[in-house]
Amino acid sequence: MADINKKSNLRLGLIIFGLLTILTLVEFGLAIYLNIWGLLALLAIIKAGLVMYYYMHIYRLFEPDKETIHHSYAYKIVTNRLGLWLFMLSDAFIFGGLLISRFNLMGFTRPELSQPLGLVVTSVLLVSSFFANRAETSMATGDRKQFVISTVVTMVLGILFILGVLGVEWQLAPFKAADGVQGAVFYSMTGFHVFHVLTGVIFLGIVLRNGIRGLYSEEKHWAVEAAAVYWHFVDVVWIFFYPALYLIGIVIK
Amino acid sequence: MKKFFSLGLIRGLIWQVIGTGIGVGFVTLLRVLMGLPAWKAEPATVFGALLGVLFFLIGVGAITDWYKMAKGEEVEEMTDESHLGKMRYFGASLDHKVIGIQYMVLSIILMSVGGMFALIFRTELAETGMQFLTLIEYNTLMSLHGIVMIVSILVGIAAIMNYTVPLLLGASDMAFPRLNAFSFWIAVPSGLVLLSSLFLGGFDTGWTGYPPLSVRAPLGMQMFFLGVALVGFTSILGSINIIATIIRLRSKGMTPFRMPIFIWAAIATSIISLTATQLIGLSFEMVMFQRLFGMGFFDPIKGGNPILFQHLFWFYSHPAVYVFVLPGLGIISELLPVFARKPLFGYKWVAMSSLGIALVGFLVWGHHMFTSGMAEYLRVPFMYSTLLVAIPTGVKFFSWVATLWRGKITFPVPMLFILASIVVFLLGGLTGPPNATISTDLHLQDTYYIVGHFHDTLFGGFMFPFFAAVYYWFPKMTGRRLNEKLGKIHFWLVTPSFFVLSLWMMRIGLLGMRRRIADYDPALQFQTYHQVMTYTGYFIAMGVLVFIINLIWSAKKGEIATGNIWNSRSPEWQVPSPMPMHNYDKQFEVVGEPYDYGIPGSNYVKFDGE
Repeated sequence: MADINKKSNLRLGLIIFGLLTILTLVEFGLAIYLNIWGLLALLAIIKAGLVMYYYMHIYRLFEPDKETIHHSYAYKIVTNRLGLWLFMLSDAFIFGGLLISRFNLMGFTRPELSQPLGLVVTSVLLVSSFFANRAETSMATGDRKQFVISTVVTMVLGILFILGVLGVEWQLAPFKAADGVQGAVFYSMTGFHVFHVLTGVIFLGIVLRNGIRGLYSEEKHWAVEAAAVYWHFVDVVWIFFYPALYLIGIVIK
Repeated sequence: MKKFFSLGLIRGLIWQVIGTGIGVGFVTLLRVLMGLPAWKAEPATVFGALLGVLFFLIGVGAITDWYKMAKGEEVEEMTDESHLGKMRYFGASLDHKVIGIQYMVLSIILMSVGGMFALIFRTELAETGMQFLTLIEYNTLMSLHGIVMIVSILVGIAAIMNYTVPLLLGASDMAFPRLNAFSFWIAVPSGLVLLSSLFLGGFDTGWTGYPPLSVRAPLGMQMFFLGVALVGFTSILGSINIIATIIRLRSKGMTPFRMPIFIWAAIATSIISLTATQLIGLSFEMVMFQRLFGMGFFDPIKGGNPILFQHLFWFYSHPAVYVFVLPGLGIISELLPVFARKPLFGYKWVAMSSLGIALVGFLVWGHHMFTSGMAEYLRVPFMYSTLLVAIPTGVKFFSWVATLWRGKITFPVPMLFILASIVVFLLGGLTGPPNATISTDLHLQDTYYIVGHFHDTLFGGFMFPFFAAVYYWFPKMTGRRLNEKLGKIHFWLVTPSFFVLSLWMMRIGLLGMRRRIADYDPALQFQTYHQVMTYTGYFIAMGVLVFIINLIWSAKKGEIATGNIWNSRSPEWQVPSPMPMHNYDKQFEVVGEPYDYGIPGSNYVKFDGE
């Protein structure tokens, strides 16, 4: 039974990852050749929807309770899940505010950034999301080894993303934070996002350490689920930030 | 002495000082290493203040349990702190009742501080010309009065919601007790950061902090921004807790339309503070970044847009008004049936009106910006959406009047405050549409009329209901009731003075008195008005002083009241006061409507085994 679950989980994860990859490439191509912002926004929404449904399991919020006693573990997990989603909803407003500021200040122009480089950073995050999902589903099916491997890979990719943004993007960008409105928009948006990635890496690190020490089981692994869902949330934010920073609009020098 | 230093609050404060020092030192060291001039006050102070707040939270013990969880240690579900006695109010407690009282005390302290600021600059205004304040001092006090009162109100509604929501629902605590403690304790150091602006040059923008003025204001401005942005977390995390508690921890049989009406108000409030609060934080952070790193968000020379700040700011700060008043209006609806001995008229409509106000509230922020130079075509839609708010609010008034109609009304102190708040909030409400209508607003913008209007809404929507709630639930907290005689003195000192104050504010506003200014032309002939308003300010302060004395005195020596002294149907009054650690010893089931007062044989709740 567990083996069948493992396989179907892996297959689903791969299918979603494949779809996201294709959509990201389509998005990139569209941006280069057509650059219709509505189409790009639509693609981002589809991608976010896929992640939220298949990786973040938003439908779990609406499942009926298996247990109705308030002090039971199962009931508390559902409460925790609600709390986490409320937190992410709240956090989404800060990112929404940043997006609105970006379009208010820059309209349909975009910062002077290298589009291929943006695609590379994005793919790093995209792959990490696949492994975060793998880590969670492995724990749910009791595959400890796979959980450890996937978590480590996710963390490494996350750190690569942070280094890529701070070490490469920020250094290569032809403007500084104080240079005009594009500097303000670019550094604040990536800064806020990288900060969230950093917290996600720390969260994953805690989960990894406790996972190696055997504190989680197939039935009780709320922390793993929370860390993975949070990681995907940060990914969803980037799904919107990426086109807003790199794809939509034209560069004005 | 050792006992003194073991108090969470004291440890937190010591840690905050240490943290601030480390932060300042770190930035200075970094500058030295980078080869820059060592001392630059602004980044050092901001980073120091931020680190100080984090250190406070470590010192007070608000994150100890989370740290243990992260290390994989078991934490106790809930420690019994009753052996600590009164000391548990000074440390990180997980009991929602303790946290509720902590919030209440903090709110009253902040209210007194903010009120004191008002008294000082009110005294200055009693005569034309500058008497004893400099202009920047006046501006700082006026700005801090605004923001400290707002923080006090946010803390005050958190007090009421924290204390009552689990009791009304029949839950043993909030959904996330540790988060609850964290939400409270972050307000304390952030409040200190906010007040520290007084000693760091002050700031002169008013509580709105508009750029470009706020970009040029003294260092105190940064402390204001940082303090408010951090206090925001109290609101955000608190509302996560409230929503999760209401959705998940209702007792058996409590279907949505059998919840106490205050719960509806709490959930409507929490929806706003959960989401919109982030945007005031963001707007303030953006100005901070502009000051620290030269980012040009609001600098037109760099292509920025100062109006953007106002959009982001008011997207929270208008709904914030509904955050302040919705719990107060909920208390009115909650208490009115108790003292009128009649069912609440139109329960479902009142419940929906709270949600209606909250949701419409998201669409109205532009009415603060009619004169700002925002796009012209936005004016009319914002005018109509603003006027729309009157409909759900009107539903509430209709319900209150109909509830009072032919009731067997009694007039203990909570009821007096409830009735006053209805009248005052009505005044606040009726004076609103002229500000929402563009043609009149262009005249009224930035006058004392606005000042009178929002003091009416906030006194009617928060202050009076808050007093009522404290008088009403105080016996539940302590087992003793507040002194009625002192309560009546409090009421009669505050209410008539407040009417004079707010109505005259509006009057001189209509005649041309500008708000926020430190001085006015004697030829305007406002001096007499200002003098009387200053006197009324002192009367209100005396009333609040009586209230505080009453709280302290009655907590120790008040008349003992452990039973259902208000004859309420609400579950928390069916058990003796004060409540034990985990609230109800026996669970209850909801078997009837909450407000069927005067209907013989009806029950709201049935306790297990009865």
